[in-house]
Amino acid sequence: MRATLLLTLAWRNLWRHTRRTVLIVIAVALGVWSMVILAALARGSMEQQIRNEILNLTGHVQIHAPGYRDDPVIDHRMVPPSPALRAALDDPAVTAWATRVRVPAVVASERESAGVALVGIDPEGERGLSFIPGAVVEGRYLAPDDGAGLLIGRKLAERLETGLGRRVVIMSQDVDNAIADRGFRVVGVFDTDAPGAETAFVFVTRAAAQAMLKLGEQVSELAVMTTDRRRLDALTARLKAAAPGLDVASWAEAQPLLVVTASITEVVLYIWFAIVFLAMSFGLVNTLLMAVFERTREIGLIQALGMQPRQVLVQVLLESLLLLAVGLAIGNALAWGHLAWIRDGIDLSAFAEGMEMVGVSAVLIPQVEARDVLGANLLVLVLGSIASLYPAWRAARYVPVEALTRV
Amino acid sequence: MITLRLAWRNLWRHTRRTWLTVSAIAFVAALLVFLIAIQLGAYDMMIDTSLRVFPGHLQVQRAGYQDKPQMRASVPAVAAVAERLRTGTGAAAVAARAFGFALVASQDRSYGVQAVGVEPAREPGVSTIPGRVGEGRYLAADDAQEVVVGALLARNLRIGVGDELVLLGSGRDGSMAATVLPVVGIFTTGAPDIDRHMVQMPLATFQDVFAMGDHGHVIVVNARELDALGGLLAEVRALLPAGGELVALPWEEVLTGLKQLMQADMVQNWFMYLSLIVIVTFSILNTFLMAVLERTREFGVMLALGLRPLRIGAVVMLESLLLTLLGLAIGIAVGGGVVVYYYFAGFTFQAMEEIYAQFGLPGVIVPELSFVTLTLGPAVILAFTLLASLYPALRIRRLQPVDAMRAV
Amino acid sequence: MPATVVCRKLCKVYRQDSVAVPALTDVDLVIPKQDFACLSGPSGSGKSTLLNLIGGLDRPSSGEVEVDGRRIDRMRKGELAELRLHHIGFVFQAYNLIPVLTARENVEFVMQMQGVPARERAAKSRQILSEVGLDGLEDRRPGELSGGQQQRVAVARAIVSEPSLVLADEPTANLDSTNAEALMQLLRHMNDEHRVTFLFSTHDKLVMDHSKRLIKLHDGRIVGDERRR
Repeated sequence: MRATLLLTLAWRNLWRHTRRTVLIVIAVALGVWSMVILAALARGSMEQQIRNEILNLTGHVQIHAPGYRDDPVIDHRMVPPSPALRAALDDPAVTAWATRVRVPAVVASERESAGVALVGIDPEGERGLSFIPGAVVEGRYLAPDDGAGLLIGRKLAERLETGLGRRVVIMSQDVDNAIADRGFRVVGVFDTDAPGAETAFVFVTRAAAQAMLKLGEQVSELAVMTTDRRRLDALTARLKAAAPGLDVASWAEAQPLLVVTASITEVVLYIWFAIVFLAMSFGLVNTLLMAVFERTREIGLIQALGMQPRQVLVQVLLESLLLLAVGLAIGNALAWGHLAWIRDGIDLSAFAEGMEMVGVSAVLIPQVEARDVLGANLLVLVLGSIASLYPAWRAARYVPVEALTRV
Repeated sequence: MITLRLAWRNLWRHTRRTWLTVSAIAFVAALLVFLIAIQLGAYDMMIDTSLRVFPGHLQVQRAGYQDKPQMRASVPAVAAVAERLRTGTGAAAVAARAFGFALVASQDRSYGVQAVGVEPAREPGVSTIPGRVGEGRYLAADDAQEVVVGALLARNLRIGVGDELVLLGSGRDGSMAATVLPVVGIFTTGAPDIDRHMVQMPLATFQDVFAMGDHGHVIVVNARELDALGGLLAEVRALLPAGGELVALPWEEVLTGLKQLMQADMVQNWFMYLSLIVIVTFSILNTFLMAVLERTREFGVMLALGLRPLRIGAVVMLESLLLTLLGLAIGIAVGGGVVVYYYFAGFTFQAMEEIYAQFGLPGVIVPELSFVTLTLGPAVILAFTLLASLYPALRIRRLQPVDAMRAV
Repeated sequence: MPATVVCRKLCKVYRQDSVAVPALTDVDLVIPKQDFACLSGPSGSGKSTLLNLIGGLDRPSSGEVEVDGRRIDRMRKGELAELRLHHIGFVFQAYNLIPVLTARENVEFVMQMQGVPARERAAKSRQILSEVGLDGLEDRRPGELSGGQQQRVAVARAIVSEPSLVLADEPTANLDSTNAEALMQLLRHMNDEHRVTFLFSTHDKLVMDHSKRLIKLHDGRIVGDERRR
């Protein structure tokens, strides 16, 4: 009852100076809008970097022979997965896994040659695991029995002046340290958002690579995709137990820099939240102070009528909270509408090469995370109330007789 | 003058309000001064470090080579063209290079690498690599039969100074290029791409191995100052043979990614800066507005005394202007102070160093201390607040003396 | 039956630029229950100060004040607010009402603070507003009421929660004589009907004429105290 009274007073007082209140509401709304939008863009960009990296043959978990991640050459090879490891991979959390041969090689056309990573894949196993099954734009994807078929990136094909149906020679070092070479025919050209992958890899079947390099059944790596990249600890532990002597690493261990970048992004984001809040809190405090000062008499009156000082404090705080709540509601609605509008992504193709340097695709899709939105709103509400304590305390401190006699 | 004094005195009628508003402006101004200085400092560092290691300030290439770096897209008489540029322009350094792809093999390893033919005497002027040879020495003479290799490559090949390296590649004419050369030096630039994938040898040796004749691929030209690049570019272009066979590309066109990365960063940062400025403008607009609303009566008297509304509007705008300028001055002083501190101390934090190291950059940013960094942010704030102060000032024109005087 | 107000040796000294200005000196005063008393005297004689001290809006420099048998001169701020809420009604000379609340809400304000249930509040406020002759104006805000109407709302608010004491500081100062007369009759009526104790401070002859008791102040001392009628 007393609460309703205080709420009524706070709400009505808020709208006594509509223009003034509206201005601060706009500042709060713009503040929360910019927080939410910026967070969505930063998260979107970060998510894309991570997803691109995972699809770029990293996977959620990878298993190698010890030493391979430092020096990815044929010397660091491993036997195909043991029955124990296979059993561990038969896990509800695992959505796809496959083994690969991946070694440095040279690809040469009639005219040019270039250094690449030769990747021998299990064409069916890569589905749902890496970018390659969906990236072929010309010709076709590899078939399991494609002994001489090869997939090449569009950019590399242009540089080598080769194309669909043409022959290229792959040279690499076999298990005996001798140079092995073999001709392949280009059966497909792939295209990726991040042009780097187009020049980094050529794909053949795993069997063809094993035969060429005299690997027998041995492979370079095993990549695993799961249902959730954020919960890998249990699975990684099980895989480690099932593959003693092998190097089992989650994507975060394999790409520690990405994790660092993500945490910096988060810190910068929250620092920015605080800065935006500070910018609007000056106006909030100033406006509340004006409101309190011009109501000196009135506050004296309600105290004379028996309102407790702390109730006066609460009343001013409520006024501030209501103002913030209105601003937040509008700001969130604004951000929601804005995000719905750019849901399909922001075209950054003008900066494509620059974006690629940091692993972002040409189209940036904003990603809204509940904790950012919640965080932004809570920050404004909580810190806003704390900032309002000063004007509220000033109001509560009035001595009724002085307040009443002041004109 | 009287207007100015009036405005100044009015400002201090509400000390607390004025200071709060001044603080808001000062806070944002200081922040922008600092952020812009750091941002531009970071760009300078990225450009400087990236260009200095290898690419140079501008490059002369055959038209089309930049997009499709093929062996055949070569520059004839490359050393002679380089010499002409050296004598004919004010360039600080000019050096010719040739590029090829090769499979290099040691005793038990082989890798695909980029083989570069350089003029050993000229290369130190355009690249830091000659100075980064940690083991052994850099290339000696133009026709010496020797190579230097990147440190990561040497580690992967398990070779050291004095070991022999087998190079296999294809020559300009499509023939097989093969040779065996001793490693005389190992360099470490810190840029993994270069340290892992580059082998350098003297230009003449390269031309010999890859059947290039007197051809090369790139002439790197460095200006004395990066800022003087525009003039140098024109000089270089004037000396190139007519017909458009050869083109001169400034670094922005060679490292398109770097330029775009900075542009994208710039766009994003200004989105943040502008939203901050707009928020703070709305946040302080109430102060400007109250200065008018609560003085309605006073203005009524002034109107009645015959002052023109325009004049009163001017006083009010002047108040806003003084308020803003005071805030900006404090902001520039504080922000500038922080910038000066980091200008001497260097700005860094640990995680940043890790990330920058990936791109071969030192993790320390020296903020740019210049007129632009100190005033650009504050100038934008000033523009926005002046725009905001128009609104209350214009309201005065609607005042009628009698109504205004009756208002309490 | 204890007196509603008892003042003993009440002194109030204001400090102005380190000069002590006595406002009240050694005031002894007893206001019995259901009194209808009036403080009069020239400006600066201490009327308002005495009223403020009795209402707990200000603290005495020395001496004692009792309201309903409770010493209020040493109460804390919160206790004083509590006392005012439950025992004292106020009518000021102007700016009496809370501008954002309607007449009815102003009347219910004190009851709402006291925690009186909504139904009871509504009934009481309707009755009292009708009693002060404001039927039909319950939902107007103070800005939409005349000065006389505003004062009547203030009176309604002061007595609706049946306090033991109503303090009224120059209640008629901003009213014309017709309205002032009506207001005083209303207050007298309240005094008779609701047995509320009233204490005024005033310059207004009209208020003095309606009072049962006239207390004269001069230079902070009581110089006369007479019963009338």
